[in-house]
Amino acid sequence: MNTAKLTSVKDRAKVALNDQFLRNAVRFTTEKLRSGRKTASQDQGNWEEWRERGRQIRLHTIAHLDYYLAQFIENARAQGTHIHFASTSEEAVEIAMKIAEAKQAKSVVKSKSMVSEEIHLNQALESAGIEAVETDLGEYIIQLAGETPSHIIIPAIHKNKQQVAELFSKEAGQQLPADTTILAGFARAKLREKFLEADIGMTGCNFAIAETGSITLFSNEGNARMVSTVPKTQITMMGMERIIPTLDDLEVMATLLPRSATGQKLTVYMSIITGPRRSQDSDGPEEMHIIILDNGRSLQLGDPEFQELLNCIRCGACLNACPVYRHIGGHSYGKVYSGPIGAVLTPALNGNVAEWDDIANASTLCGACWEACPVKIPLHDMLVYLRRKKADQGYTAASERAAFKGFRYVMSNHKRYRLSMKMGAIGQTPLVSNGVISAKVGPLKGWTSHRYAPSLAKQSFRDSWRALDLDVQSELREMDPDIQAKMNQIVESRRKGGRTHG
Amino acid sequence: MKVSLFVTCLVDGIYPHVGEAMARLLARHGVKLEFPEVQTCCGQPAFNSGYWEDARGAAITLLDAFEDSDFVISPSGSCVGMIHHNYEKLFEQDDALLGRAKKLVDKTYEFTQFLVQVLGLKDLGAYFPHKVTYHPSCHGTRLLGVKNEPLELLTHVRGLELVPLPSGEDCCGFGGTFAVKMSDISGAMVEEKAQHVMETEAEVLVGLDMGCLMNIGGHLHFKGKPLRVMHLVELLYEGVKAKA
Amino acid sequence: MAKSSGYLAELEERSKRRQEEFLNNIRTRLGRSSNTPVHPFRGAPDFWLNYDLTQQERIDLFMENWRKVGGEAIQVGSMEEAKTYISDVTQTMQARYLLCFDQPELVEMKLAQTCPGTDVTFWNPDRESELLAKAAGTDIGIGIVDYAVAHTGTILAMSNPYKGRAISLLPTAFMAVIKAETIRTRMGEVLKEVRGLHEAGEMPAGVHFVTGPSRSADIENDLTIGVHGPGVMYAVVVG
Repeated sequence: MNTAKLTSVKDRAKVALNDQFLRNAVRFTTEKLRSGRKTASQDQGNWEEWRERGRQIRLHTIAHLDYYLAQFIENARAQGTHIHFASTSEEAVEIAMKIAEAKQAKSVVKSKSMVSEEIHLNQALESAGIEAVETDLGEYIIQLAGETPSHIIIPAIHKNKQQVAELFSKEAGQQLPADTTILAGFARAKLREKFLEADIGMTGCNFAIAETGSITLFSNEGNARMVSTVPKTQITMMGMERIIPTLDDLEVMATLLPRSATGQKLTVYMSIITGPRRSQDSDGPEEMHIIILDNGRSLQLGDPEFQELLNCIRCGACLNACPVYRHIGGHSYGKVYSGPIGAVLTPALNGNVAEWDDIANASTLCGACWEACPVKIPLHDMLVYLRRKKADQGYTAASERAAFKGFRYVMSNHKRYRLSMKMGAIGQTPLVSNGVISAKVGPLKGWTSHRYAPSLAKQSFRDSWRALDLDVQSELREMDPDIQAKMNQIVESRRKGGRTHG
Repeated sequence: MKVSLFVTCLVDGIYPHVGEAMARLLARHGVKLEFPEVQTCCGQPAFNSGYWEDARGAAITLLDAFEDSDFVISPSGSCVGMIHHNYEKLFEQDDALLGRAKKLVDKTYEFTQFLVQVLGLKDLGAYFPHKVTYHPSCHGTRLLGVKNEPLELLTHVRGLELVPLPSGEDCCGFGGTFAVKMSDISGAMVEEKAQHVMETEAEVLVGLDMGCLMNIGGHLHFKGKPLRVMHLVELLYEGVKAKA
Repeated sequence: MAKSSGYLAELEERSKRRQEEFLNNIRTRLGRSSNTPVHPFRGAPDFWLNYDLTQQERIDLFMENWRKVGGEAIQVGSMEEAKTYISDVTQTMQARYLLCFDQPELVEMKLAQTCPGTDVTFWNPDRESELLAKAAGTDIGIGIVDYAVAHTGTILAMSNPYKGRAISLLPTAFMAVIKAETIRTRMGEVLKEVRGLHEAGEMPAGVHFVTGPSRSADIENDLTIGVHGPGVMYAVVVG
């Protein structure tokens, strides 16, 4: 079922939760990737130091992005690359179309690029009568199905073999069996024709290296190399934050990215491409273009809460770690970028608070994304900042605002708090049986559809404290002098201004 | 030396016996707990939902309650995590409150942290002859970094067989208001967690946060599973009483 | 051609015009002056830079890692032995088309003679029009690669007029001949060499790191080998 038309995460999730294949497939794959990441990072060793180094490099680069971008542009131009700037997705599409038009292109082969998904380039190419072919196996599958990727690195995570066989059979004009080797073999042969006849190759960019003006591409299938080797013209779509300063820094990123994404030591192919082919070369593009895209990225700059979002290296580890993603899959997020990173990136890039849906609410704030992130982006904190922005600007439901006003009224004063607990203990009486509440009423319904709710204790802790305190006095023993000394020492060092803890 | 109990609203209203077990257990080691009654709630439900002004209203009660405490101890990794991870952000606009918040951060400990890091106790002499599995709650482990302390305490309990919980680090789906706002997703998550708990064939599920335990336990009992669900402090106290 | 260069001039003009505005916007948002930043954390952590193996350890680790990702690996004592191995593989595989980097050591192997009936082509700047098609129909691509990385089991092939990128990409199989002394422990050591080329003004257009056969797990997470790139990868370490 196509869930794109449903307007809320909640509705889309409901559909996903009822799709047992989808849930099993997503769970199986994310589990595998997640344990792959754990093993690979343990094998590498000193993982926390690698993460910290990766984070520092990204923080530094983004904090001086104008400088490194300028350096990149200068070096890329010196190698004969044509650089273009696009503030919006429309502008990026327009520039790409201009190049395609000038080349009188009939067909474009593409390797996986989230930026190209973000700007919906394929639709523009198609409507100009230019065939756009996705060549990453997963992207090819979802292109044939007319869908968007549901995972950053495994776009067709939600499709099973039978569905793929059906799609490919239509393309082949004959029935193909649901056998992975045969299906992949068909794609290889079919796409090879496409590579050889394509006028333009289009790629994304994993990292752009400022000191050399190079782009780097990571892939396992080899399609990114095909796209940048065979066609005469190459267009690279690059988010403006993809920069790293030096080739030295690439070693760190190449250590973090594949291990975090798939648990590999390195992807099968890692290519550093610097300009078009040299005059004596017999392959590689004759003309190379890089379109540098902003599209809401610069809105994060200078914002202490969201700037780190631009540190993301698009590995997908947060999706694999996220227990919510695992249950509802990527399409439930309703946008190109899914999972924890998508839940923050999508509203942040769009910048329009009024139009944010409930995507930021689809998280328990468990922090698994943060823990998995190779550059330690605090996505769980950012989700709270998004919620706060929404609340501050008055876009949350009136009932919710009233509820938290009530929360504050009660919680800001211990007497009111104590009284409301007393009243609650009495008021709940009709709902309680055997110490629990199972009635599916009012706001409790969401809770009690899946579990019992506990009832308030007959006597709260604070009401029983006086008696308890007296009783405990009689049980009090002498403290071990060593412990006493240690506690004194902690308090003392705290007094001197040292932070002992926290 | 003033050691104060931050009981948390959940334990205060619903699970007072957890607070009681803590007071009694610590008394056996010479720690006399105080209970400043002006405390209410750490403010996390409002904070996480984006209502920071409302969260401050609650959080200030803790600044007031523990102003002159030397140590503040709490039976919740999540509420202590809230203080450690978020209070400086919550009060950053007001220097006076920020100063008080930093002081609170410095002296506030989750219960197992206090036992192991401060008191240096791992073996309390408890005896608990049951098969037990432990759910490490997300905020305690990730925001606060409490990972080894509970395991050290558990492995020193005599008679106790600790069974690892498969995918234990996965969130149980509680997430405060998430469980109500996104109830279907939350329901799917707690169902998976409960399945993992059942796979261990443990008799007892133990944890450090009553929020998560309320969620998992509520689901297990809803499904008619007879497992006992308890806070680690209850287990330890029961264990030392049994030994005594 | 006129149309093509006309559009380039137009886009170039537009790019130059937009550049300042684009970068200024970033600078303003960051609240930054245009000074040159100090780069405090560059490259890998120090403990990593000290990681170094002996040559034989490097060879062994490279081969171990290469095999782990599904490649074939063998160590031989000389180019002569390498030639024997390549001939054997060519005959066993019944390979009919070989496409080689144009390197003196490979030319001297005279593979066309040792493997009768096999078509052997060398990459060459003068044969541009036919080479890509040729590569697509090749059974085994062969080249002495520039470097290898032991820690990841990776080879490195740089493009130049005599070493087409297609050779390690389009054929069904690729045979990487690796001189033992070009195997480094860490990727960073090889990247330093690449920087050296850049600084000397000799940066190749394509620098390709390859770690085993082409693979995909995009269909039901079921690993398939040989999607787009070569499905069989040989590594012959010489020395």
